[in-house]
Amino acid sequence: MFKLIKEIFRSGEATVKYPFAPLPMEKDLRGKPEHTPEQCIACAACTIACPPNAIGMTTDVEAATRTWSIDYGRCVFCGRCEEVCPTDAIRLSQEFELAVAKREDLVMKAVFRLARCEACDTPFAVAKEVAYVQEVVAASAPTPDEAEQRRRLAATCPACKRAHDVRQPAAFGVARRLEETRR
Amino acid sequence: MSSLPTVDQFTPASGIGRIDTPADIARMKASLLKDIQRSAYVYRVDCGGCNGCEIEIFAAITPLFDAERFGIKVVASPRHADILLFTGAVTRSMRMPALRAYEAAPDPKIVVSYGACGCSGGIFHDLYCVWGGTDKIVPVDVYIPGCPPSPAATIYGFAVALGLLGQKLTAKTHVEGENERVAIAHPTVPYNLRVLVEREARRMAGYRQGGDLAEVFLAAMEAPDGRPFADRLAGLLRSTPDPRTREIFEALGGVITAAVGRLAR
Repeated sequence: MFKLIKEIFRSGEATVKYPFAPLPMEKDLRGKPEHTPEQCIACAACTIACPPNAIGMTTDVEAATRTWSIDYGRCVFCGRCEEVCPTDAIRLSQEFELAVAKREDLVMKAVFRLARCEACDTPFAVAKEVAYVQEVVAASAPTPDEAEQRRRLAATCPACKRAHDVRQPAAFGVARRLEETRR
Repeated sequence: MSSLPTVDQFTPASGIGRIDTPADIARMKASLLKDIQRSAYVYRVDCGGCNGCEIEIFAAITPLFDAERFGIKVVASPRHADILLFTGAVTRSMRMPALRAYEAAPDPKIVVSYGACGCSGGIFHDLYCVWGGTDKIVPVDVYIPGCPPSPAATIYGFAVALGLLGQKLTAKTHVEGENERVAIAHPTVPYNLRVLVEREARRMAGYRQGGDLAEVFLAAMEAPDGRPFADRLAGLLRSTPDPRTREIFEALGGVITAAVGRLAR
């Protein structure tokens, strides 16, 4: 009996103090993904990486906006979004107290404006993303002229790029030159 | 065959076994939460889960987390239950058993949707045989997300269900502000060089840790104190106790030296 009481005192209390005291967390615990909309360029890398499609984006062409959303009710806390994010806009936090009474409270959204194409003036990509890509392609360009050209290319929509790709060789006169060389 | 009840008769909307209007149920639920003078009995309904959630529920009632100190007790029959804990994504074949468990529990009952699958179908949300969430078949009072929710998250969820703690999460919508722009990280490091460094770090340490290590490395190399690169690298290596991290930093230094060498040629 005395031995048992001694053993109880020796081993101490195993039960954690939570919820009366904060729970000590591991450094690499994968908790709630915390999105910083100011840092996000809405590049959709996370929406593609997300295995359960908890992260998604919808585009409203009429309003020229794109809405990014995360559903914590569907998230499996795998951290793939954090891995692929080029601007560290989404990081897994230590937060685990996510229980809610209403389903809607589990959904976070961020609305981004769309940029208009330089050539045809239709909205085609998120303005922040276009600005970021312009910075990146200009930073890796060898000459200032090349940088400027790349900036303009980044601000052109894919349809216009394709159209230009068709028109430009026509302007170069490839067919005429071939004729000349043949002669 | 015609004497068997149809599927519709089993759904809560048509109300087999239902004795009260929704208003009555809400009132009874409130009084249950206020006047409960005994343990809250929990019955666990598995409607097609992977058992991860069950393991965490049982971890929550072990001595380490000990949900029973709050009077939360897991029982073996829905007829004893105050709280029904639905786990799993509600598969086609587990839908009827789940509804039967719901109907077998006496009113007022609190329904808790447990885990990512219970909340919305989780990673199985678009399978052909999956209903996708407990709230598709029964009214849910509390959602506990997580895949699976940790024992601590489980205890927190029960506390929310019993009205002991308030919920922390609320729906938020951020609208992009004027002139909101994202700057390139480490603008003083040439972009292509940064890509090489990050790629090497991720190759050696994995995607996430590699990214973090590259961040530490670039921040140290970028510090505006005018020392030569070799000195800074030596300083960084001296201040890194972990030999594995040191090896990665050495390799990243090698990447930069090689890139500078290529440029000089």
